Order: sequence, then C-alpha cells, then structure tokens
Amino acid sequence: MSARKTKNGGGLWPLRCTINGKKISRRVQPNQTLLDFLRLELGLTGTKGACLEGECGSCYVLVDGKPMNSCMMLVPQVQDRKVITIEGLAKGGHLDIVQQKFVECGAVQCGYCTPGLILAAKALLATNRHPTREEFLVGMEGNICRCTGYNTVLRACELAADEMGLKKK
Amino acid sequence: MFYQPKTVQEALERKAQLKDRGSFIAGGTDLVVLMNAGKAAPETFIDLTHVKGLNAIHRHNGTLDLAGNVTHAQCGRLPVRCLAQASLSVGGPGIRELGTIAGNLATASPAGDGSTALLALDAEVELSSVRGTRRLPLDKFFVSYRKTALAPDEMITRVSIPTTYQTDWAKNGKRGAVNISVVAAAVAITPKKDVRIALASVAPTPTRCYQAERFLAEAGLGADSIRKAIEILRGEIKPITDHRASADYKTHLAGVMVRRLLENLVNA
Repeated sequence: MSARKTKNGGGLWPLRCTINGKKISRRVQPNQTLLDFLRLELGLTGTKGACLEGECGSCYVLVDGKPMNSCMMLVPQVQDRKVITIEGLAKGGHLDIVQQKFVECGAVQCGYCTPGLILAAKALLATNRHPTREEFLVGMEGNICRCTGYNTVLRACELAADEMGLKKK
Repeated sequence: MFYQPKTVQEALERKAQLKDRGSFIAGGTDLVVLMNAGKAAPETFIDLTHVKGLNAIHRHNGTLDLAGNVTHAQCGRLPVRCLAQASLSVGGPGIRELGTIAGNLATASPAGDGSTALLALDAEVELSSVRGTRRLPLDKFFVSYRKTALAPDEMITRVSIPTTYQTDWAKNGKRGAVNISVVAAAVAITPKKDVRIALASVAPTPTRCYQAERFLAEAGLGADSIRKAIEILRGEIKPITDHRASADYKTHLAGVMVRRLLENLVNA
C-alpha cells in the first residue's frame, strides 16, 4: 500500500476531524484512502488492509459510531467526524471488555482480522446489548477470519455482551 | 482536486462546471475499489457525503421519498419488504453504512441487489441538474450495460417508492455473506393486483420481466398460471455464462426463485 499522488500536483485537503478522541488538523492528499492515511501518515497500524475491496473487513473503523471499511473511504470524507480505530478502545491502560474477552478466549490466531472483528462487535453491541447468535453472525458477516477461528470469536463476543449486561445492572 | 459541497445546489453547480471530469463520490464502495485496483484515477472528486438533507427519508400518502444518500443500512430498516431484504443482503455492515441508494443505481451493476427491489416497486428517480429536475421511471433509467440515462451534469437526488405494494425478495449466491448474486429476484403485487417481477444478473442491466407480468395480468395468479408464467420468464431473460454460473443454470434458477416468491405471496 503506497500513498497515491494527486495528478494535479496540488489541492491538498485541510483535514479537520477527531481520531481516537484527539483533534486532528492537517493538510492531506485528498485521494488517499482513510486506511492509508491512518497507517502511513498517523502510524496507526492496528487497522489492517487486505482485500482493499470491502470483502474482508480487516480495515474496519468506527465513524461516528458506525462500522465502515476504511479502505473504501477517502480521507476528506471523515471531515468533522469522529473516527475510532482499534488503538482507541483501551482506556487508561485497560483493554476494552471485547478486547479482554478475545484475549481470555484465545479468539486470535494470526490476528490480522482481529481489529476489524472487535470493532464490528463494538458497533453491534452499541445498538444491541444482547445480540443472539444469529445477530452476531449478521453483525460480523463483513469480517473474514482466514484462520477460520470463528467459534472462539463468537464465544468472546457473547461473554463480552454478558459482562456488559452485568455491569449495567 | 476534491470538492465537498454542503448543499445540493452547490454540488449541481460543480457538476455542471466539470461534467465528466468531476466524479461524484458518496459511499465509495465501487469507485474507491476501482482506484485501489488501479482501474480508475479520477482527477476531481465531488464528495456528496457532507451535503445536508441528502440522507432524509420522507413518508407521505403511501409514498416514501428516499434522498440520494440514504444508505443500505437505512433502507434495511424500511417497512418495504423487498427493499429492506435486498439492502440487508448487500455486503456486510460496513458496506451497508457506506453505500447509498443513488450510488447503487448510478453504478448500474447488472447484479444490483437494490435495483431489483426498486424495479419491482415501480420506483421513480429524480434527476437534478442546474437546468432543472426531471422524474424518470426506474426501468427507463437503465439504458444498457453500466449505462444510465444520467446526463453528464445530472445527479440522482431522490428515489420514490410506494408503501402499498405487497413484496418479497430473494438472492442466490455462492456464499452466506458479502455475496454477489448468481440471480436475485424481486416480486410485487400492486394494490390493483398487477404483478411486478424484476431480476438481477440475468441481463446486461437489472431487468423487469414484462412478458411474464403481462401473462399473469391476463391469466390471474393461480398455481397453473404461475407455472406457465415461469416458462415465459425463462424464455424472455438472457443470462450469460460466466464465472458464477452457466446461462442454463441461471435461467433455471431464476424460474425456481420467482415461482417460490410468487407462490408465497399468493398464499400469504
């Protein structure tokens, strides 16, 4: 993945947005994907690129809380929006509950799909506190695990939902 | 260059100035994929994601007006069965939050999931330019393979559909998720009991099956007439053999799918 150069040689975009709670203000190549920007310009390499065509979900980020494929977005499209990447989930040195459960369940094999899976689960749990197995499967259908470790992933998500439910009570 | 208009008027003025040199971008689920593959390199973008009001949904007198940026995720929550089902079958959650109804139509994929549902619903598209606004029935919008009736200075600002049709929808593909159709089918029964049948992936554009529809309009909806209509439908579609399936298989499949959908609607 390399940064694309604009053909007209100029026209940098004055980007203003929030990434992982931090306000960003800088001039960017407008035809760069959000994925490339995060990885190459900000060094946030937790967001992965694999298929670059929306099939795999390894590039998922949350934009204003919604899951989106960062490989299909151009950077200026997040102008004035709030972006959360996998690096933005841990708070004060503590992993997010979904991350914790992934660790506890061993829901990681090669790990390349893990950031996308965790963000897909976060997005689902934000709108549905007690997803059924079927709802988890739909909420995470945009994410491919090439190692096919789906059972532990689902287990981790369900345990995270349970624990979140207990905390709310 | 990258433009990010805040109003429809601003977007239309920019498009009128740039015409084909300016690429509209909304969800980016087609355009950026082409760019990633080195198959497109637009010089100038007109980004529609920040246009105010372009993701609004208005309901009035049995009609839903969907503004161009309404996403697949939004369509998936509408009380219009065929469109909701089609929209929820597009990609995964991330793609459904990005992809828009106008983009789905403008890209004019022969496999367009939303297109089949919208064709069966007699959807009307509103095409706007600085010259004014015109409304077109969707079946007049798809011209030929990946070609639409959009003029170089026009954009799709709205799609209107009825809420009064009884509808259903189905897709067969090769996988359980993020699935492109081998065949997708939508059926609808209008309040006057006319039948609409639309298919994707069996012709250069998403297509209505007028001959089968006309037969059913005369013969009525019964077990025998549905079987006969399926024969007619299989004769009027023109799928091609490709890496997804053979023409024969698609022809057979389309008939089975439409028969089941119609039988379910009649028995509902």
